[in-house]
Amino acid sequence: MAAPAWYSGSVGLSALVRSLGGALDDYRKLRRGFHWDTPRPAEWPEASNAVPDRPTTLGWARMEPVRSLRWALQKGMLMPFTEVMAHPKVEGEEWVQELHRPVILASNHTSHADTPLLLYALGDRVRERTVVAAAADYFYSRRVIGFLTSLWLNTFPFARTGGPQEVLNRSSQLLKSGWNLLVFPEGTRSDTGALQEFRPGVGHLATENRVDVIPMHVRGAHRIMPKGRNVPLPAQATVRIGKPLKVGEGETSRSFAERVEKAVHELADGAESAQVTGSWIDRWQATAPRKTRR
Amino acid sequence: MLALTFDRNIPAYALVKAAGGRPDVATSPLALLHLEDVEPPKLPGSDWHRVHPQVSGICGSDIAAITGHASFYMDPLTSFPFIPGHELCGRLDDGSRVVVQPVLGCAVRGIDPPCRMCAEGRIGLCENVTEGEIEVGLQTGYCHDTGGGWGELLVAHESQLYEVPDALTDGAAMLTEPLACAIHAALRTGAQPEDTVLVMGAGCLGLLTVAAVKTFTPPRKLICVAKYPHQAELARSLGADLVVAPGEVYQRVRFATQARRVDTIGNLLEKRPVLLGGADLVFECAGSASSLSDSVRLARGGGKVVLVGMPGKEEVDWAPIWQRELQVTGAYAYGVEANGKRTFDLALELAPSLKLDRLAGPFFALEDYRDAIEYAMSSGRLSAVRVAFDQRSEA
Amino acid sequence: MRPGAVVEVDRNTPPTLFHYGEGFRLERLPLGSRIIYPPDPMDPIGHPERAIRRALTKPIEDDPLKDLLRPGMKLTIAFDDLSLPLPPMASPDVRQLVIEEVVDMAAHAGIEDIQLIAAIGLHRKMTADEIRHIVGDRVFTAFWPDRLYNHDAEDPADNVQIGKTSNGEEVWLNRRALESDLVVYVNLTLVPMDGGQKSMSTGLGCYRSIKEHHTVHTLLNSNSYMHPPDSALHHSCIRQGQIIEDAVRVFHIETSLNNHAFPAIANFLQKRETDWTTSDQAAFYALKQATDLAPPDLKRTMFHSMLAPYGMTSVQAGQVDKVHDKTLEAVRSQMLVPVEGQTDVVTMGIPYLGPYNPNSILNPVLVVCLGLGYLFNLYKNKPVVREGGVVIMSHPTRYEFHSVHHPSYIDFYDEVLADTTDSAEIEKRYEKRFAEDPWYRQMYQQSYAYHGVHPFYAWYWAAHALAYLGDVIVVGGERSTVHRLGFKAATTLEDAFEMAEQTVGRYPSVSHLRTPPLLLAEVE
Repeated sequence: MAAPAWYSGSVGLSALVRSLGGALDDYRKLRRGFHWDTPRPAEWPEASNAVPDRPTTLGWARMEPVRSLRWALQKGMLMPFTEVMAHPKVEGEEWVQELHRPVILASNHTSHADTPLLLYALGDRVRERTVVAAAADYFYSRRVIGFLTSLWLNTFPFARTGGPQEVLNRSSQLLKSGWNLLVFPEGTRSDTGALQEFRPGVGHLATENRVDVIPMHVRGAHRIMPKGRNVPLPAQATVRIGKPLKVGEGETSRSFAERVEKAVHELADGAESAQVTGSWIDRWQATAPRKTRR
Repeated sequence: MLALTFDRNIPAYALVKAAGGRPDVATSPLALLHLEDVEPPKLPGSDWHRVHPQVSGICGSDIAAITGHASFYMDPLTSFPFIPGHELCGRLDDGSRVVVQPVLGCAVRGIDPPCRMCAEGRIGLCENVTEGEIEVGLQTGYCHDTGGGWGELLVAHESQLYEVPDALTDGAAMLTEPLACAIHAALRTGAQPEDTVLVMGAGCLGLLTVAAVKTFTPPRKLICVAKYPHQAELARSLGADLVVAPGEVYQRVRFATQARRVDTIGNLLEKRPVLLGGADLVFECAGSASSLSDSVRLARGGGKVVLVGMPGKEEVDWAPIWQRELQVTGAYAYGVEANGKRTFDLALELAPSLKLDRLAGPFFALEDYRDAIEYAMSSGRLSAVRVAFDQRSEA
Repeated sequence: MRPGAVVEVDRNTPPTLFHYGEGFRLERLPLGSRIIYPPDPMDPIGHPERAIRRALTKPIEDDPLKDLLRPGMKLTIAFDDLSLPLPPMASPDVRQLVIEEVVDMAAHAGIEDIQLIAAIGLHRKMTADEIRHIVGDRVFTAFWPDRLYNHDAEDPADNVQIGKTSNGEEVWLNRRALESDLVVYVNLTLVPMDGGQKSMSTGLGCYRSIKEHHTVHTLLNSNSYMHPPDSALHHSCIRQGQIIEDAVRVFHIETSLNNHAFPAIANFLQKRETDWTTSDQAAFYALKQATDLAPPDLKRTMFHSMLAPYGMTSVQAGQVDKVHDKTLEAVRSQMLVPVEGQTDVVTMGIPYLGPYNPNSILNPVLVVCLGLGYLFNLYKNKPVVREGGVVIMSHPTRYEFHSVHHPSYIDFYDEVLADTTDSAEIEKRYEKRFAEDPWYRQMYQQSYAYHGVHPFYAWYWAAHALAYLGDVIVVGGERSTVHRLGFKAATTLEDAFEMAEQTVGRYPSVSHLRTPPLLLAEVE
């Protein structure tokens, strides 16, 4: 065992006194040199948070053990709650039963209750592989809210101004890594419950990634929790799922987005036409179980 | 003279009401009914007679009065204190057996010309029950001046007296009065031969209504709702085609009338189903809220519900009456029927063939009135129909 | 597979299990009595899907199904309802496997107009969940409720008369089936009574055609209806079926099951008492105590949630009669037990479930139907009990009815049986009234009630037994109910034997039907 070195200069009582003295000195400088609790001089330039927020993909929300935790939360609390509040009726669930490739799910948006209802309609297997595009400026302006929605609903921040290419890139990344993407192409909740004009982003995403879009429509969510109310009230809701739309050869993103809008409109009207709901043969074949070796 | 008297007494009423009609409270010394030595009633006129009650029944309306359930509607039409007892068989001073028709109409009160109701023969509806030579009172047994069956002596106008044929025992004769009520109800409403008729309740009045309907207006099907086995047996022997228990009444009536039944599922506040269809005519003979509520649901649309048993202030859902366009009508007392015969005469004619002895008893002495009232209050459970006071001398 | 057996009770025989509604009794039978045990379950087909595909491509006396399907045609698939099998089969039901195969072929052929009809006849309509259990999730989500629905025998627009048989029996059929270019019937045969021409004529018929053979007269002449050649009921059904075959193109698919009727938890019900292991005894003991203590509703929920691990033993398709012959062969090879001679007394335990009360209550009328109808008639040649003999059943026979499923049963019990228990008398005086009661009709059409006339058929089912037997004794039954049914009530089995001796004489010979699992006694 080596004895402590006796010769090191700045140890012991003298070093302590010196550093304490230094601390006091620093305090004095700061205390006098800056404006603490006093008005900021007018000639100073406007204050700014010059360091940008650390960008987050919220990738943690799509990793274990968060996925398992979310599965338990949804299965144990969110879905039973949805069931009790809305007694959701689901039509066309065969279109999402046996999805082989990631898809974009496009729905109308009237209420915060839409997302749980849509997730309910998707069924356990698809829900587990679906991320929800949530307005970056609404949900992610506050840390805690953003954290909670990501945890519960598997959301990711989506800038709705349609601008930054980065957001679309991130969405594409998610699609490419095998996640289904639930988007609300209207961009915001409808005040009246009526359908609004779709934004073209959904078309970009689909054409760029060559994925199908499944139109969905929720009826009744507006009664459960319209815009501006924070407490849900029980009411019956219906979710209709339409036939997947494929991007046609050479189809522009804008015209494809229009096609999606039309399909959601038809679902809203309750149309039974084969373009939207498909013939029974299409639906039957969509639900064919994956071939496995027995 | 020994008699049971009933007086108006607010604290006693409050006590009885608060006890919910418990028999031990309702017959206690603090209650409304007392056994006392009172002045015998005086003869108001020369055409009045002294009647010595032999047997005197305890009617449902008496029980209602004693337990504080009677409607205050009757209050101004009664003179206090009175001696209850209006269904009785008595003897005159000369020893002949009579029944007393208790209604105190114009003829009894010596009013001439009579009111329009009495002139029509509907003495039960007499408009002069407050006038004349005796005190206010609808009937003997509710009038201070006449005495009543629950005392040793009462006075009756000669128009009230009917001689009892030898074929009738005292007990059977006592039931002439309720039988007359039943006959009046049956004749007043007149069931058609193709009707289905429902009699709710198989107490004394219910059973006699069954007999009266069967005799005077035999319908296609006569259904009686009876709670207790002895009531069911009596109802069957008095002419009911079908006897059903209260719990199964909707099911059985539905079947009998080929109605459709609509149940509400998950309504905890109203368990009663709705019948689309139902009985043409319902005689309500229990006078209770639940029986009334059932009656208005069991009658078909446009049907008729007849209240025979005395109701009080009961809570009944009026919606079925309104929606089914029901005729709800009362049937009170007796008089002269449409065929020109007096109801009591009809009753005395019919009574011997009904073997009404079975319905009378057990008998109690006036002194044992507490036991008697208590027995009468649970007569169904104790397999009795009409409990009565017996004042016949031991000879 | 071990065949069924008749075992004589000796000193070493353990006590015998009696089913007793939602419960059991363990009884000692007199020495020398015989116990008739069903055969063990046959080995099921290893690859049911493959067998089904083979049956569809190589039908009996018919073209392969593929060749019958062409685009633009009207295709109707009809299937048996939840009265089969008992208890309900654990998923996947064989009907699901068959229907999925047929639908797959139809999808492949591009047939747009396809409908699936549950051939319920006069049974109650099945709830969505019950249908989902039979046809499976995939078929259900694809077709419910517009193209997959219950037959409605009371909708005048939905039922068409197609003719009369040579005996003057009316033949009616579901309109959609009649208008189809092809009807594929998917059947499941559990006992020899089911299937064949009876499937279409009863399942898709209405009261006017079913009443032609569901009469006291035919049932008295069906000895027994578990053996079609001796059954007037089946002769009539075949006559009707031939008229139907002339009117519609029918492709019949029949399946048969083994008798593995109880899940692992109730293994002891499947075994003979002599084979019970300690764990079987423990399971019995636990279940017995539980059922003795539990309230009826809880017991019922428990028992009705039991699903049977049935295995498919055969599947064949093609022309109705030819197919049915093969099916019956398979069913018989599973059920048949040779029995020597009749006995004076037959004892049987009545289980919690009959064909008419899945997810419901076995009410007193259905107890009679199950005991003296189905179990008594599980014979070939002649009954196990001699003419004038006594049947002793064990069942609690409480006054219990399911008010949604069995509204007409309640009135049948309260109004009809209170008057008379004589089948012929009942038929004459009451049947028409019940069949035409508007409320029953409404409950059948819009709710989940058996048809108004159904309790009559349940009662007629026992007509042959009632005419044949000297007496019927119910052990452990509620006295008032048993008397209403016209039987005698005994508290213990010993008392019942004492009472039986008054009818059949001292020291009677006794057989016990140890069933379910079901057996078919071939009495020499």
